[in-house]
Amino acid sequence: MSKETQTPPSLKIQPFTEEPIRFIDDEGRPVGEGDPAAVLGLEDSHLLFLYEAMVRTREIDRMGWILVRQGKAAFYISIGGQEAAHIGSLYALDPEDWVMPYYRTEPSLHLRGATLEEIFGQILGTNTDPSKGRQMPGHFGSKKARAFVLGSTVALGHVTAMGVAMALKYRKERQVVISYGGEGSTSEGHFHSALNFAGVFQLPLIVFIQNNHYAISVPRPRQTAAKTLAIKAKAYGLPGYYVDGNDVLAVYAVTQTVVDQARAGGGPALIEALTYRLDPHSSADDDKRYRSTEEVEAWRRKDPLIRFRKYLESKGLWDETKEQELRERIQKEIENAVEIAENAGLPDPREMFLEVYADAPPHLLEEMQELLQEIQESRQGGK
Amino acid sequence: MPVMTIGEAIRDALRGELARDDRVLVFGEDVGKRGGVFNITQGLQEEFGEERVFDTPLDENGILGMATGLALMGLRPVAEIQFIDFIWPGFDVIASDIAKYRFRSGGQYGVPLVIRSPYGGGVKGGLYHSQSPEAIFGHLSGLKVVIPSTPSDAKGLLTSVIRDDDPVIFLEPKKIYFAVKEEVPAGEHTVPLSKARIARSGKDVTVVTYGYMFHETMKAVEALVQEGIDPEVIDLRTIVPYDAETILESVGKTGKLVIVIEAPKILSVASEISALVAEKAIDVLDGPIVRVTGWDTPFPYALESYYMPNRTRIIRGVKKALSLI
Ligand SMILES: Cc1ncc(C[n+]2csc(CCOP(=O)(O)OP(=O)(O)O)c2C)c(N)n1
Ligand SMILES: [Mg+2]
Repeated sequence: MSKETQTPPSLKIQPFTEEPIRFIDDEGRPVGEGDPAAVLGLEDSHLLFLYEAMVRTREIDRMGWILVRQGKAAFYISIGGQEAAHIGSLYALDPEDWVMPYYRTEPSLHLRGATLEEIFGQILGTNTDPSKGRQMPGHFGSKKARAFVLGSTVALGHVTAMGVAMALKYRKERQVVISYGGEGSTSEGHFHSALNFAGVFQLPLIVFIQNNHYAISVPRPRQTAAKTLAIKAKAYGLPGYYVDGNDVLAVYAVTQTVVDQARAGGGPALIEALTYRLDPHSSADDDKRYRSTEEVEAWRRKDPLIRFRKYLESKGLWDETKEQELRERIQKEIENAVEIAENAGLPDPREMFLEVYADAPPHLLEEMQELLQEIQESRQGGK
Repeated sequence: MPVMTIGEAIRDALRGELARDDRVLVFGEDVGKRGGVFNITQGLQEEFGEERVFDTPLDENGILGMATGLALMGLRPVAEIQFIDFIWPGFDVIASDIAKYRFRSGGQYGVPLVIRSPYGGGVKGGLYHSQSPEAIFGHLSGLKVVIPSTPSDAKGLLTSVIRDDDPVIFLEPKKIYFAVKEEVPAGEHTVPLSKARIARSGKDVTVVTYGYMFHETMKAVEALVQEGIDPEVIDLRTIVPYDAETILESVGKTGKLVIVIEAPKILSVASEISALVAEKAIDVLDGPIVRVTGWDTPFPYALESYYMPNRTRIIRGVKKALSLI
């Protein structure tokens, strides 16, 4: 993930547009003047890197679903369809920057240096999970990757990310923090506290909203009467950007713009990326109850991977052979990682009593002994 | 009588009250078209229309604020919180408004509302889809806390709490939503609040429990009976204000007390009942009070099966109370 990109000074990205900002259309054709890569100062190697990262994200996601079907994972919550919105924005960060993920972010965090064994360890709840199998699938975090560990409460991450941004400002760091959430997260008070404080204290915070049209079954218009989510930034005195979340180049361009601004002391921003969740909300959902197959199929044709691939093909950078090679290579990586994660085994039951506090207090050590005795007796009981 | 699961019985109660009383409104996240993430409100929006059964924005503070205002104006809101673990963004409304309205207004205003929410572990839900925070709500004087463990009680208690003039938090043991079936009275069916149920009478030891743990307890009892032990099992049903009389009467008979809950032990309902019996019946006790509970840790994901109290742990607890181990 070495990248020395910055938005070229000539690039002017405007907040509060009526229509989402896009650089390539649904068919991968450039929108506007010139080749988007040139406009953005991206070389061919950068473009190929972005595509590979999206494909890897998609393949991790597919394996997540397979593990549920095989009964190895109890649950899965997918990123499918939202790869461009994640990868394009993560790509705009430096390794030193901080990420507040939400539950769909997990597969994309390989871009931050999280290993696939770690990611699948999290999904399977085994010992290769940096958080020791303590949380449900979808709750990946890793200090090494500068990704915080989310809880399940929607929007909670936004407000703590704001505090992180305050620390960065206080310490005069050049880092920024990006906080992810769905459009549903904009309805919670946490979102509003985050934007309000970030505006007042001019913090290096980017709140990145993945507007995938639904919060489980609840459609976007049930979250807000506002025309866009981006517009909400206005009331807090920040810029709000509305971007086509299935256009990885546009997502990158917008995020890089606000990251550069925040790094330069220009304060926070809100980004709304318009995208679509292609799969049910999670492995526990039945999306036929609230949306039509036709609607989903129409969005499948706007798949961010297909779209970017077409763009690469039009530039002569990609073809079917390369595609096959890449998919096979990634498949192997993933199968290997799953095997390592599975073989790492479940955490030791004693682990449960540790890290509740910095030092385990006597009552927890006593409970640990009680459990160990219980386990021993049930073994002796012939089970 | 129709045979129903707990989930179906809850739906039946909601349907009954929606039909009987047009002041009743049902709302929350995904309760409309989706019918709730556990399918509990399935079909209710079609049957009663979007004005009475509707989806809200993703905001528990908004949901509970709306419920409070509706109740102040004489309506009977039944708000769903998708998982009890997600109620905290709205906690201020509960702790500061809902629980205190009657008292602070000198009885001028009341907020007869119901907050329904699935709670408890056993579904591989990790930290935030498994918790049992009933004690936290029970500590807010003015709010009632009710937990059913059987389909009949689920219907009867929910009907009663919707009709009750006080605010109630109604916690639904999600692990057994569709696991337990029994005959449930058709039509109107109420079960009185603050009345525990003696699910099995016995003479050797009193076991107080509720929710999913009631069923684990009954499994343990089967094994204990084989060993010649004769437990009395009390299903508490209303957690606050609870039925002290039934508990004390039972302990008066058995002289032994075990409380089985899945929440952590510290400051728990199990602690409260222990204290009650220690305070009021120490003279009849002839063995140690035993609390069988979840551990005092957050609810783990991968190690869930080691966290939840089960049949084995309950058997051990009863034997400890009987000084057999
Ligand atoms: C405070 C809170 N309420 C409810 C939930 C249950 N829940 C989990 S995801 C979700 C929908 C979130 O929708 P959105 O923010 O749009 O993100 P998406 O899942 O669509 O990416 C809900 C209601 C939760 N996790 N936290
Ligand atoms: Mg959404």
